[in-house]
This record gives sequence, C-alpha cells and structure tokens, in this order.
Amino acid sequence: MARPEMQQDTEMPDSGKTIVMDVLRYRPEQDDRPVLQSYEVPFSDDMSVLQGLQYIKDYLDGSLSFRWSCRMAICGSCGMMINGRPQLACKTFLRDIYPEHVRVEALAHFPIERDLVIVMDDFIEKLESIKPYIIEKQPRPLAEGEYLQTPAERDLYEQFSSCINCMLCYAACPQYGLNPKFLGPGIIALLHRYNLDSRDAGAEQRKPLVNSEDGVYNCTAVGFCSEVCPKLVDPANAVNVNKMEAAKDYFLRLVRPRGGGK
Amino acid sequence: MEIYAADVAIVGAGGAGLRAAIAVAEADPALRIALISKVYPMRSHTVAAEGGSAAVVQSQDSLDYHFNDTVGGGDWLCEQDVVEYFVAHCPEEMVQLEHWGCPWSRKPDGHVNVRAFGGMKIERTWFAADKTGFHMLHTLFQTSIKYPSIRRFDEHFCIDLVDADGRVQGIVAIEIRSGRFILVKAKAVIIATGGAGRVFRENTNGGIVTGDGMALAYRHGVALRDMEFMQYHPTCMPGTGLLFTEACRGEGGFLLNKDGYRYLQDYGLGPAQDKPRNKYMELGPRDRLSQAFWYEQQKGRTLSGPYGAYVDLDLRHLGKARLLERLPQIYEMAETFMGIDPAKQPIPVRPAVHYTMGGITVDGRCATSLPGLYAVGECASVGIHGANRLGSNSLAELCVFGKLAGTEAASFAKSAPSGDTKSLVARAAASQQRIEELLKNSDGSERIATLRKEMAQSMEEGCGIYRLAGSMQATCDKLMELRQRFRNIKVEDKSRVWNSNWLMAIELGYQLEVAQAIAHSAINRKESRGAHQRLDGYEKRDDVNYLKHSLAYFNADAAPRIEYGAVKITKSQPGIRAYGAAGDAAGH
Amino acid sequence: MNTPAGNGRRPYMRSMQGWWRRNTFYVEYMIHEATALFVAAYAVVLLVGLVRLSQGQAAWNAWLAALRSPGSVVFHVLVLAAISYHAWTWFQIMPRTLPPVMLKGKRLSAAAITRSGLAAAAIVTLMVFFLVRGLWA
Repeated sequence: MARPEMQQDTEMPDSGKTIVMDVLRYRPEQDDRPVLQSYEVPFSDDMSVLQGLQYIKDYLDGSLSFRWSCRMAICGSCGMMINGRPQLACKTFLRDIYPEHVRVEALAHFPIERDLVIVMDDFIEKLESIKPYIIEKQPRPLAEGEYLQTPAERDLYEQFSSCINCMLCYAACPQYGLNPKFLGPGIIALLHRYNLDSRDAGAEQRKPLVNSEDGVYNCTAVGFCSEVCPKLVDPANAVNVNKMEAAKDYFLRLVRPRGGGK
Repeated sequence: MEIYAADVAIVGAGGAGLRAAIAVAEADPALRIALISKVYPMRSHTVAAEGGSAAVVQSQDSLDYHFNDTVGGGDWLCEQDVVEYFVAHCPEEMVQLEHWGCPWSRKPDGHVNVRAFGGMKIERTWFAADKTGFHMLHTLFQTSIKYPSIRRFDEHFCIDLVDADGRVQGIVAIEIRSGRFILVKAKAVIIATGGAGRVFRENTNGGIVTGDGMALAYRHGVALRDMEFMQYHPTCMPGTGLLFTEACRGEGGFLLNKDGYRYLQDYGLGPAQDKPRNKYMELGPRDRLSQAFWYEQQKGRTLSGPYGAYVDLDLRHLGKARLLERLPQIYEMAETFMGIDPAKQPIPVRPAVHYTMGGITVDGRCATSLPGLYAVGECASVGIHGANRLGSNSLAELCVFGKLAGTEAASFAKSAPSGDTKSLVARAAASQQRIEELLKNSDGSERIATLRKEMAQSMEEGCGIYRLAGSMQATCDKLMELRQRFRNIKVEDKSRVWNSNWLMAIELGYQLEVAQAIAHSAINRKESRGAHQRLDGYEKRDDVNYLKHSLAYFNADAAPRIEYGAVKITKSQPGIRAYGAAGDAAGH
Repeated sequence: MNTPAGNGRRPYMRSMQGWWRRNTFYVEYMIHEATALFVAAYAVVLLVGLVRLSQGQAAWNAWLAALRSPGSVVFHVLVLAAISYHAWTWFQIMPRTLPPVMLKGKRLSAAAITRSGLAAAAIVTLMVFFLVRGLWA
C-alpha cells in the first residue's frame, strides 16, 4: 500500500489520523481489467472524498485520473461510486465513513475510460437528441422584452432545470445498466423541464422520443435515481409523469385512430 | 496529426465561448465553428457564478447610473467607451437569455425580478435564485445544440495557437481521451478560457481556472493588461475558499466581527442601518470590504478558526423561508460543507481570490493585436472592470462581448484567405513535439503539486489584499525560481489515455507565466487603486503617473516586460471614490 | 501494449450480473416486485371462490372450508404480510409518479402524499373488512 509522505502544506489541519481509500484503477494501456488499489491518506473531519483523491494525485500517485472542478456540487464533474452508492465526491465527507475504508469506483453502468473517468458520449448524445431548448410558438423580437412568466409557472419546471448532468441517476438506474438505449432519468427530466416551460411549444416534437420503446416505458419505477440526485431534481417523477401521459396518449390513439389525442 | 478545418475556432466553452459560438452561427450558418474545451461545456466555471447578472431594467435606473457605478467601482481604470457600449447592450442580452429559456426569478406579475448588489446605486442584478451562472451556462449550452454549424470538441486541451503570415490560423489540441493531437485550422480564433484565480492559494475558482488562454496569447506576443488587479471576494468559506455570493448581502445579510459589531461602518461605508441600502455597508464594493477585513484582522477583532481569521456572515434575521427561496445553494453549502444552519447560526467567512480583472488585451471589439485573434470573458481585458470589478458585471460581460466577439470573428473569417495547410501542420507538429517532450523527458525531481503550492503560497504573500515592495519582490524571485525548477518537472504518468498528470504539468506552465505577469505588473504599479493596495509609501491613487493600463509582455525565460497604455476617458473624469454617507455627499 | 502516438483507448464495460444484490435499495425493490406475485396469487384465490360460488352451495361451502384449513391460514398470513409490504412500498413511490398535487396554492409534500395514500388504503381495508364481517353475520 502506498503510504502518505508528511506534507506541511496540505490545506487541511493535521489530525495525525489517516484513512484508507480503495480506488478502482483501470489503465487501458496496461491493465486488462479494473483492479482495486489502496492508498492511505491523511484524515480530517472536514475532508471530502474529492480532497482525499486530490491528495493521492498530488503526493502518492500522479497517475490516478478523475474528473473534478468546482468543489461545490454544481459543475457535476465528480460523480463516482463511493461505497457502492453514486455520489459527488466533493459533497461526500470522509468523516461519514471513517474509520472504515472508502471504496471509490467509476460511475456504474458507464464504460470506464480510465480509473474513475467514464465514457459519457451516450449521455451527451441523448442530451443533444431531445431538443433541449425553447421551441417558440413564434419568434419573439428582443424589442418586445421578456416573456411574462409568473413565479408559479416558473416553479412548475424549476426543479427539473436544476439538473447538473452529474449522471448519478444513470449509475443508480439498473434499467439503464441493462439497456443502455434507455433515454434515462436525467435526460427525461431535462426534456420534461422544457415541456413544462410556459415559453415552450415543443412538446409535440419531443413526444416520439418519450413514447418510443427506449423512452419512458423502460422505467420500472425503481426510484433510486431520485434518491441519489444531489440536486433534488426527482427525475423519477419526470419519467413517471411522462409515462402516464404516454400511456394516455397510446389509449387515446386506439380510441381515435386518426385523431392523435391530446 | 488529425486536421479539422473550421472557419472560426473558439477555445473555451463557458458562458463567453458558447455565446460567441451562437453569435457566429447566427451571423452566417455557412461558417464552420469549432468549439474546443478542456471540459464538457456544462463543467465550465461560469457554472459556479451565483448572484446574478447586471442590466438596467427598472424605470428609476439608467444607463448612466450603471456606467457611473462601473467606472467609479473600477477606480477610473476603465475604458469608458467600452463601458458605454457594455451598459447599453446588457438589457437586450439578458432578454435574449430569457427568450432562450433562462429561468430568471420573477416578480408576481411575471416580469423578471432584480436584486441589490454591491457598489450599485439601483438594483439591477437579474438572478435565477443563487444559481445564476449555472442556469445561464446550461441555457447557453443547451441552446447551442440548436445550431448544426457548431462542432464541439469536448475534453480537448488546447496546447498552442498556430500563427503564420502575421495572423492566427488555428490551434493545436490534445484529445484527452486518446492523447492524440489535432490541428484545428481556422481563419479566426476566439479565446474564452476564463480567469487564472488558481494561481493563488485560497480562491473560489474551480480546478480548471488556470489561465490557459491568457498564457497562450501572451506567448504569442499579445500583452496581458492590468494583471495586478485580482479581486478578493469578501465572503468565502475558510479553508476551501468556496464562495458565498454577494447576494447574501444583497438580500440583507450582515458582516460581524468577534464582538458582533458591523465593522464596515468604521471604514467609510456607514452609517449602519437595519435595511440594506445600496452602496452602504455590506453593499459596498468588494475591494473595500476585503480591505476592511484585513484591517479588522490587524486590530485583532476577527474570530479565529482552524483556517485562520474569519468574520461572521449573519443571515439569521432573513428567516429560513426567504433563505430557501433566494439563497438555496448557500443554504445547502453551509449545511453540507460546514454543518451550519444559516437560519440559526452565522456563517464564518473570509476573503479569497475570486476574479482576474485583467487579461488578454483587446480593443472594444474584442480583437487582440494579433490579427484574427479575439478574446472574451474573464481571460480578456476589454476594459470594463478597471481596478475592481462590480459584482454581476462579469456574467453580463460574457453575453454582451461573447456576442460581439462572435460577430467580429465571423466577419474576419469571411474576409480572410485560407492558410497554407502544409506550413500550419509543420508549426503544429513543432508544438506537439514540445508538449510530448514534457511527457517523454520528464523524469525530473520536481513534483507538480509542490511547485503549484509554492507558487500559490507566494502569490498570496506577495500579491494579496495589501502589498509591499519587499514581499512582491520575493514573489517575483520565487516565480523565476519556480520557472527554472519547472524544467526539471516530473510527470510520473507516461500513458496517453486521459493522462491528467500530463495536463496538470502543462497547466502549471501556463500558471507560472500568468503569475509572473501578475506579480511584475503589481510591483511596477507604484500607487494604490481598486484591488491593488500598497502599504509602502504608495497608499494613494496617483492619476498623474498611473491612470494607465499596465501591459505585461512575454519575454521568453526572462521576467515580463512591463509597459503602459492610455486609459480612454469619455464622460467621467477621475473623482473621489466614496461609498456610504460619504458617497452621497460626493454625489455618487 | 503501449501505443506511443496511437490510440490506446479500450473502454471497459462492467458486467450487470447480480446487480440487484449490490445495494439494499435494489434488494428492497426486488422484494417489492416479488410481492406483486402474492397480490396475483390472492387474486387467483378470489377467482376460484367466484367460480365455486357459481357452482352452487356445496362447492361454495367446500371452498370456505378449505380456506379454514391450517395450510390456508398460514398462506393467508403470508399473503397479508406480502401485500402489506407491497402496499407500503408502493405508496412510498407514489409521490414520484404524480404531477405536482396543489393544495391551497402550495405543493403537497411527498411525505404527505404517501401518508394520505396509506391512510386511504387503511380506511378501505377496514371498510371491506367490516363489510365482509357484516355479510357474514
């Protein structure tokens, strides 16, 4: 096991205590499959898992790769499996695990590019596919000023607009793990966010995606996606509300084959 | 080497880069846009901006007020014609964002709401709760998907600009996932890479804010302007430096010293009143508030915690409901990171480095001195922030000048001829070789983290809130030493796939050069103005000698060459910068 | 293995085998799903009762007698436990499936929705219980 060198300049008070982090390593240029590697890092009460990883990177093993940036749970970079649960490393604290080992792995259900870095192409392609922008009824000149939108109208979609694209919900969703074609919780939440926006008129255009085989019907209401969401977006709600709409739509079509029910 | 032929290449996909990309796409859908970013766009640091974005909207407000607040707030080191353009274009850009879906907070009648911010005469800060940057960034990113001419190169790390025939003609980048190099040919290049706050120890910035674009332009002969002006934000989390938005004070929060006393009244910002009053007390400008903290610390009136001195940001009187409505993220941060319920306890805060006022020198149309090269956002110095940026002007800047940089680059690209690919490839290959050297011949003994920490510590000591010639000189010397030691850097990881060890070494190279520009600009400015405050005989503003922009020029391995440029004054002659009752007396 | 300038990418896909044992949330979810079988089983019992009723008094009485057998009682206790668990967990999820429920201009909390669902289920259960008891008497 790699042991910590004593560093005077860490930005954390020196408590003399240490904690062991078991990190799932995968270096495609040398490893056939992922393997756990253990590191002993200094421990203090206010250290996040991210700070632990940064310590490893800075002083124990520069070859450990992981994504991070803002440190304040808003950029969405540092989602990973921490003791088996998808969490943001910056917002998960070692004190809640100490003195047990911390087990850190790349987000579940995504291919591992390297170490804790996943391949997120699939998520980005899905994000791009749902027309995640305002589709206006008719263009509104800037000179006419803003759309009026009451606080109540804003409240309707605000929660779904809070998604930071951290993908914890995908790592929580076994259906996505089993069928990666599933549009998935976060993206359906984003789609729902635009459909609910009083300025948007694009719901019809987004419908085929929602109602398709890989749309909402893949969801079996496990609900873990909403449990792990660090921003209380409740993507399961977006999926299931759309599921009901899709079902309603389906039956109305049966009744009125040519009508295309509302 | 892979080659991609674009018309306009944009480096950086934060607020400014995305806004510029959309502007190019709208200017001419036939132009091929390459949007290159070392992170996925929604990770860009715009995401962390909290409080809001300025634009005149209330009937009792005026463009002149916004102009005066900005120019006075910048201690008259602003390009006044550019500020005029800026304030005039803020409202339409905020409305544009609204049309694109930005979830601005609203008044009961459905109109956009505005809040108070520091240094502002009238409330004009548009906000989306306390996640304004997050919402603006995601709105811009998602809107950019509408435009098929924008080709994104996510997680591509820019290592160099390619110039030939006296103009910029592309960029070279590493595809992070594979470690392969790509040349993006372009007739115009826009740099939108953000600030350099990570050169300091305690800062509010994300890990990616390493001044990359500044260093790239600097190495290609473009001056970095006014780099000595680093903004300390007065209310940050001790230790991590995480930001508690100015909106905490805009909503009515108090700053208290260890005696529970609102100490700002002792520093020309009073008198203290219960209700927030624009330009008084906690709604003074950031530089003044950070300086007041420093004095309180000298007087022994601050509190003391594991990360040193702090004061209390008291939000308790606002009540839980309002905090959750207006400042939900602040609430969450205080609870999760500090175990504090801000409705019940005050939040310990201290100043930390927040924003790089200076940057790549550009004219009022975002053009640099290198033809075809544009810069916008925090990496640029377009001239609106002067010696101290007003809170909520930076988000507005991204939009107003992002759009302008886009349209300017688009028209330049349309008139510029295509370059000679062969010679561009040769130049790109040379850049590639230099960067690969770093990987291959890097069995040195110097740890990246050690150099980075020594740099950050030294910057804090020499270029902090108050500055002395001796400590600035020590920092300049230290930085020179660190650049020497950097040649002996150790990159442990020799692989290609997602090798962040390698990227951090490149970033450190950028940081050291930008840090030098900051320190040398600082030691040469022998006056006190805005965020540059000296205690060694230059305590006063000196308009006779220093109403000038400092210009730092790259000088290879030697220290930067510092020159000075004129400041454009149109309608506001330098005056007394006063806040509180003194400000009213001075007619601000 | 080391490919100096080439592409060393080899994304690794982890197996989903045994996924439902990976955390307690999934295990609970699988139990919830499995208890749906007990709901179905009890529906079959009721259907059989209906068929027996249509076959006349003797058949109906035989069915009632069968229900009183010790094996059947044990089975019913099991089914009651399983269905109670199913109902309990079902109402936990219910708020996630509904559009916002507004009450006096305010959004009803998830906990309140779950509580009202459980309360409604309890009331209906008691009503059915007493109704059946009443018919019996």
